[in-house]
Amino acid sequence: MARVSLRGVSKSFGKVDVIRDVDLDIDNGEFVVFVGPSGCGKSTLLRLISGLENLSSGEIYIADRPVMDLPPSKRGIAMVFQSYALYPHMTVYHNMAFSLDLEGKSKKEIRERVEAAATILQMEHLLDRRPAALSGGQRQRVAIGRAIVRNPDVFLFDEPLSNLDAALRHDTRVEIAKLHRQLDATTIYVTHDQVEAMTLADKIVVLKDGEVMQVGAPMELFHNPANEFVAGFLGSPKMNFFDGVLTGASGVSSGGLQGSFSGEGLEVDAVRLVSENKNNGDRVRLGVRPQHLFLDTTGPVTGTVTLVEQLGTETVVELITQQGTPFRVASAENLSVTAGQQASFGFDASSAHLF
Amino acid sequence: MTRTFKHIILALIVVIWVLPFVALVTTSLRSETASKTSGFWTAFTPTELGHRFGTHDRDQSEPFTTMSGNIFERLNGDRESFEITGEVNSILFKGRVPDPEKPGKTKLIKKLVYAGEVMDVRGGEFVFQSSGDFTWTFPEATAPKAKNLDAFINQDPVFGTDAYIEVLFENENVPNALISSFIVTIPATIIPITIAAFAAYAFAWMRFPGRDWLFVIVVSLMVVPTQLAFLPVLQGFSGIASWATSLNAWLTDCEVTRTCKVPSKSFASLWVTHTAFGLPLAIYLLRNYIVGLPKELLESARIDGASHLKIFTRLIIPLSVPALASFSIFQFLWVWNDLIVALYIGSADSADLVFPIRLQKQLGTFKDQLHLLNASAVISIIVPVIVFLSMQRYFIRGLLAGSVKGG
Repeated sequence: MARVSLRGVSKSFGKVDVIRDVDLDIDNGEFVVFVGPSGCGKSTLLRLISGLENLSSGEIYIADRPVMDLPPSKRGIAMVFQSYALYPHMTVYHNMAFSLDLEGKSKKEIRERVEAAATILQMEHLLDRRPAALSGGQRQRVAIGRAIVRNPDVFLFDEPLSNLDAALRHDTRVEIAKLHRQLDATTIYVTHDQVEAMTLADKIVVLKDGEVMQVGAPMELFHNPANEFVAGFLGSPKMNFFDGVLTGASGVSSGGLQGSFSGEGLEVDAVRLVSENKNNGDRVRLGVRPQHLFLDTTGPVTGTVTLVEQLGTETVVELITQQGTPFRVASAENLSVTAGQQASFGFDASSAHLF
Repeated sequence: MTRTFKHIILALIVVIWVLPFVALVTTSLRSETASKTSGFWTAFTPTELGHRFGTHDRDQSEPFTTMSGNIFERLNGDRESFEITGEVNSILFKGRVPDPEKPGKTKLIKKLVYAGEVMDVRGGEFVFQSSGDFTWTFPEATAPKAKNLDAFINQDPVFGTDAYIEVLFENENVPNALISSFIVTIPATIIPITIAAFAAYAFAWMRFPGRDWLFVIVVSLMVVPTQLAFLPVLQGFSGIASWATSLNAWLTDCEVTRTCKVPSKSFASLWVTHTAFGLPLAIYLLRNYIVGLPKELLESARIDGASHLKIFTRLIIPLSVPALASFSIFQFLWVWNDLIVALYIGSADSADLVFPIRLQKQLGTFKDQLHLLNASAVISIIVPVIVFLSMQRYFIRGLLAGSVKGG
C-alpha cells in the first residue's frame, strides 16, 4: 500500500505531446480509474508510472519515494496487461512464480506465496496447466495472480477486461472490486469503459489529449462535471446539448455560478453555469441528461421521435428538434411514443448544466 | 487451371525430385554386375539373364545312372549375397545331334531347350523343370565329366548391402570422411546459431544508438559471395597460423621434436569461416522472428524483474525454438554439403577430408564402380535426412498459444 504522486508529468514521442503536465495524488488503498477516449494517453500515463516508458519531464513518487530512475521491477508495482501477457511455455504455477524466482526467493516461500495467491483467486486447480489450456477469464485471473504474488505497493491494470465477453466482463469486474476490498492495495486501473470506471472507482481521472479534464468521485463527476467533455463522456446515453446564448449570469448562489439560457426555443433560468468566464450574450451550450427529461405536454423541449429503443429496464427515445438538433430521452417507464410523433419534454433546471 | 492439372504438375515435380534419390539408393543396393549392365529401373521387375552353371563339381567322379540336382543350388553355391532366384526359362543347348540329311553323320546345333524337354548331354537324358530341379539319366551307371550349361533365368529382383559394407568397413576413407564431416558441421552449426540468437535479441529488443544502421550492414553482408572472400580469409588464417607457430616455438620446446608448425587450414578454420558466412542470414532470420514475439511478454518480464539476459534465456530462447530449429537445419545442410569452402579452407590431410571432398575423390578412384559411388552418396545423404526428421518435432505450431489475445 502506498501513495502515488505525479508532479508535472509530461511525455512526448518526438514532437507529439502525449501527456501534458499531469498532476495527480492517489491515496493509500485508493482505487483510481483513468478513463478517456482512445488515444487520450491513459495507457501511456499508466506505462509512465510502471516505468515501461521514460518521462520527458516531471516527477513520480510511489510511497513517497522518487521512482523516475528506477526500473519497473524496483518501483513496487505489478501490472496486469490487456492481452494477459502470460508466458506460454510455463505452467500457471511457474508464470506466477517467475518474479519470485528472479528475486531469488527460496522454493518454499515461492510455493507458499503462489498457493496463497491461487487461493485468493480460487484457481488452485489450474496451477499445473499451461496458458493455452485456459479460457480467457482464467487467463486473466492468472495474470492478476501473477500481480498479487509480487505483493506490490500499487496494482496497475491496463484495460484488463476488454478481451473478455460481456458476461465474463461483468463477473471479472465484480471480482476485481472484491479483490480490491480484500487486498486493500492502491490500484490504478485504465479503461475506456465508463461503466467499469463508475462501478469500480473511488476516484475517476478523466483524460483527454493527454490532459486531465477532471478528477473526482464517480458521482461527483456525474452530477457536477467540470466541463462539456466530462459531461458528455460520462453517462449513458450521452448528455444532450442545446446551443444558445447566455442571457443572464445571475451571479453566485449556494451551488456556485448560475445563469439563464436562451436558444433552440428554450428559455431556462437558474441553471448551474459551469464555465466561469462567460458574459451575457456569449454562446453557451445547455446540457441535460436523457434521464432528466420527462414527458410533459407543456414542456419546453419539443421534437419529432426518430427511434424508440426498448432495452427492457429502460426505454431510450431518439428525437430531433425543429432546429435539427438530435437529443435522447431515457426513462425507466415505458414511454407511449412512436416514431414520427411529436413529443414535448420538461426538465428540472437544477439538474441541467451550462457550458 | 483445374484441380487434376494441378495435381499432375505436383506429382511431376515430386517425381523429378525423388527419382534421383531412388536411382541412387537402388543402384547402391544392386550387385556390381547388375549395376554395370542394366539401368536401375530394371531392378524391380523379373529380368531374363543368362547364367552358366556346372552340372556337378569337377572332383565328383562316382558313377551313377540318375543324378538329380537344382540349377539354383549349383549357381548359388559360392555366393554369399545377391543369390539368384526365379524361374529357369530355357537352356541353350550346344552339341552334336544326328544329321537327318546325312545319315550316320552328326551336326553341331545351338538351340533353346525349354523346361520339361529332353536334351542329350554327354549321352544321357537331361531334363529340367522351371523350378530349377533337373535329372540326368543314363541307361547304365556312368561317371560323366561335369558339363557347363547356359541357363536363361527369369530372375527375381535381388538387393544386397554389399556396397555399403565395402565402403564402410573395407576402407577407412568413408568412415574418416563421416567423422570429419561431423567434426566440422556440428560446431559450425552451434556456434553461429548461438551468436546469432544473442545478436538477434539485441537487434530486436535492445535500444542502442545506430541499431538500425548496424542491422542493415549485417544484412547487406549476405550479398558478399563466399568465393570472393577466400583470398583475404586465407591470408588471415595463414597470418594467424604463423603467429601461432612463433608463439608455440617461444612458449614450448617443440623445436626439439620439430612440431612447432600450426597449420593454417584446419577444422577450426572451417568453423570460423562457416560461422562468419552463416551469421548474416542467421541474424536476419532470428531477428525477424524474435521481433515478432509479443511485446507485452517482454514488458511483463521486465516488471517481474528480469534482466535482458534472463529475458533472453527464460523467454526468448524457449519461444524461438521453431526458428532456431529451422535455421540449424539450414546451416547443418549447407555446411554438410559444402565442397568449396572445405576445399580451400579445410585441411588437405587425407584423414581429415570432409564427405563432399571424399565423394569427389571417389569419382576418380571408383570410376565405373557405380554401386560403391552410390553407396557413399547415400551415406552422405542419410545424415541430413536423419537430422531433418529428428528436428521435425521442434516445429511446433501454436507455441505462443495462450500468451496474448488471439495468440
